[in-house]
Amino acid sequence: MKILVIEDEQALLESILAYFIGEGNICEFASNFASASEKIALYNYDCILLDLGLPGGEGLELLSQLKQMKKKDGVLIISARHSLDDRLAGLDLGADDYLVKPFHLSELKARVSAIVRRKNFDGDNLIIFNEIKVDVSAMKVSVANNQIVLTKKEFDLLVYFLANKNKIVTKNAMAEHLWGDEMDLSNDFDFIYTHVKNLKKKLAEAGGKDYLRSVYGIGYKFGEA
Amino acid sequence: MKLATRYNRANLLTSLVILIITGLIYYVVIHFILTERLDRDLAVEENEIRQYTQTYQKLPLPASYLDQQVSYKEINGEVSGIRDFSYTTYINPKENEVEPGRSLVTTVSLKGKVYQVTITKSRLESEDLVRIILFITLGVTVVLLLSLILINRFVLNQLWKPFYSILNRMKTFEVTKTENIKEESTKIDEFRELNESVNAMVKRVRQDYKELKSFTDNASHEMMTPLAVINSKLDSLLQTETFTEHQGHLLEDIYHATGRLSRLHQSLLLLAKIENNIIPDAENIDIQEMLEGKIRQFHELFEKDGLRVEVNLEKTEITMSRYLADILLNNLFSNSVRHNHRGGRIDVKLISNVLIISNSGKDKSVQERLFDRFSKSAESDGMGLGLAISKQICTLYGFELEYHFIDNMHSFKVYFKKSF
Repeated sequence: MKILVIEDEQALLESILAYFIGEGNICEFASNFASASEKIALYNYDCILLDLGLPGGEGLELLSQLKQMKKKDGVLIISARHSLDDRLAGLDLGADDYLVKPFHLSELKARVSAIVRRKNFDGDNLIIFNEIKVDVSAMKVSVANNQIVLTKKEFDLLVYFLANKNKIVTKNAMAEHLWGDEMDLSNDFDFIYTHVKNLKKKLAEAGGKDYLRSVYGIGYKFGEA
Repeated sequence: MKLATRYNRANLLTSLVILIITGLIYYVVIHFILTERLDRDLAVEENEIRQYTQTYQKLPLPASYLDQQVSYKEINGEVSGIRDFSYTTYINPKENEVEPGRSLVTTVSLKGKVYQVTITKSRLESEDLVRIILFITLGVTVVLLLSLILINRFVLNQLWKPFYSILNRMKTFEVTKTENIKEESTKIDEFRELNESVNAMVKRVRQDYKELKSFTDNASHEMMTPLAVINSKLDSLLQTETFTEHQGHLLEDIYHATGRLSRLHQSLLLLAKIENNIIPDAENIDIQEMLEGKIRQFHELFEKDGLRVEVNLEKTEITMSRYLADILLNNLFSNSVRHNHRGGRIDVKLISNVLIISNSGKDKSVQERLFDRFSKSAESDGMGLGLAISKQICTLYGFELEYHFIDNMHSFKVYFKKSF
């Protein structure tokens, strides 16, 4: 997928680019309003990551520009502003999602993947990874053509892993993705283990390879070893 | 009591008293003056009779003039020097009516005999005069009082109109809305001044509000950005995969610390926002449905500690921001899990607008300043802000939040206000 990252914080921009590059993704960036505006006008992207506070202009202004040009680029707002007004204003102007800083890169990737899937394959929302086939809109999963039944949490977890394949995903990020970050969870994420274990078992029973592995107790990695 | 009513009452009462006193004084003084005049007339008549008897050595005829009667009576004995004014009746021979009169009884000596002379004059005219004056005074009093009442009712109401209209606008004033309190066109200096001060105050409040809002926004932005950088760098570091298990644990600890820092920061910003009432969008919420969702969301956490959850919910609607309702329930549930012991229980009740979440607990001793910021029990790994935020949210919407320790259960009660 082709992604434009509009972010003025250099360090954050680098991390995001590093996380997204690979797997055939093309990433471009803009760190001020003028260059962002120019890139939006010239090219089409699958998804634009938009920081609201930009030097040289307000990020929401770029949304209006996109709308005026009738472009169908997906937009994910990443902002430090937690205020509801901004969130609503952004979504009203046609943004697809809103992520508040600080966030986990894995969460960002999952959200971007979801937006791109929705934009590109209307109706036919599929993720295919080797023998695993996930129909996101129908919430159906098959492994080597064997249909398997997953709980809602296991399904969400699998989609999350597939969006972050070959990356280490922390338990913290997984918990926040599944239960929301407002929950003020304790530091003990053992209950995630149960879901991961069940998912692993169900995939294996249907004849899938073992893609999941634990990384030093800090998180999990999904991918070919 | 309204200012106008109060003023009216004082005004009318004083006017009434003063007018009555004036009337009385009028009556007494005029009565006195007229009697004085009558007495002078009687004295003149007496004088004439004396002169006549001295000159002619006989009594004048007991003449009966208009409004005046004279009569003589011989008295035996040596009674002389009587001179007495008195109120009597006067018989008007013409109209054959009894009228009020004033008479002078005196004595005249003639040829060694003493005669008693009674001169009577009709008081009718002077009485009439007094009565007319009294009526005029009374009439003026009534007219004056009536006009005072009318003035108070209409003119005062009209005069105070700008005041009430300014007051109304102040009552409906909302800091988040942009419209100004309109200028009230009035020629009264005091009201104009009031209006100007109110508008100046509104401007100042708006300015403060704007500054506060931009400060919280900026503070949030400025502090969240470095946190976001730390977090993203940690994620990037993690992907290098060339770390030992020991380093993995270090990484995990840093993750926890940054996670806590960002939650702490968000909580403090949230508290500031609630305190300054920067959260609009109150809506009707089916709190029962929300609670059920919350219980599903916390399912894993309950299960992990083997907590038994008993739920008894009644359909209840409340009016508040959905966002804050979510935070309130999150805090209360997190609390009941965090301070529970393995295999404990949680009771959730929602009956007649009261939400009760009670849980068995690790210890009985509870912090006294439970709802204060950063007050937490020693073994708690929370931030000590959850209950402070919950309390603030409740205060914002006029709900009551109480803590009780009953039957070995820590129980939090929220008394919702009924939504209409």
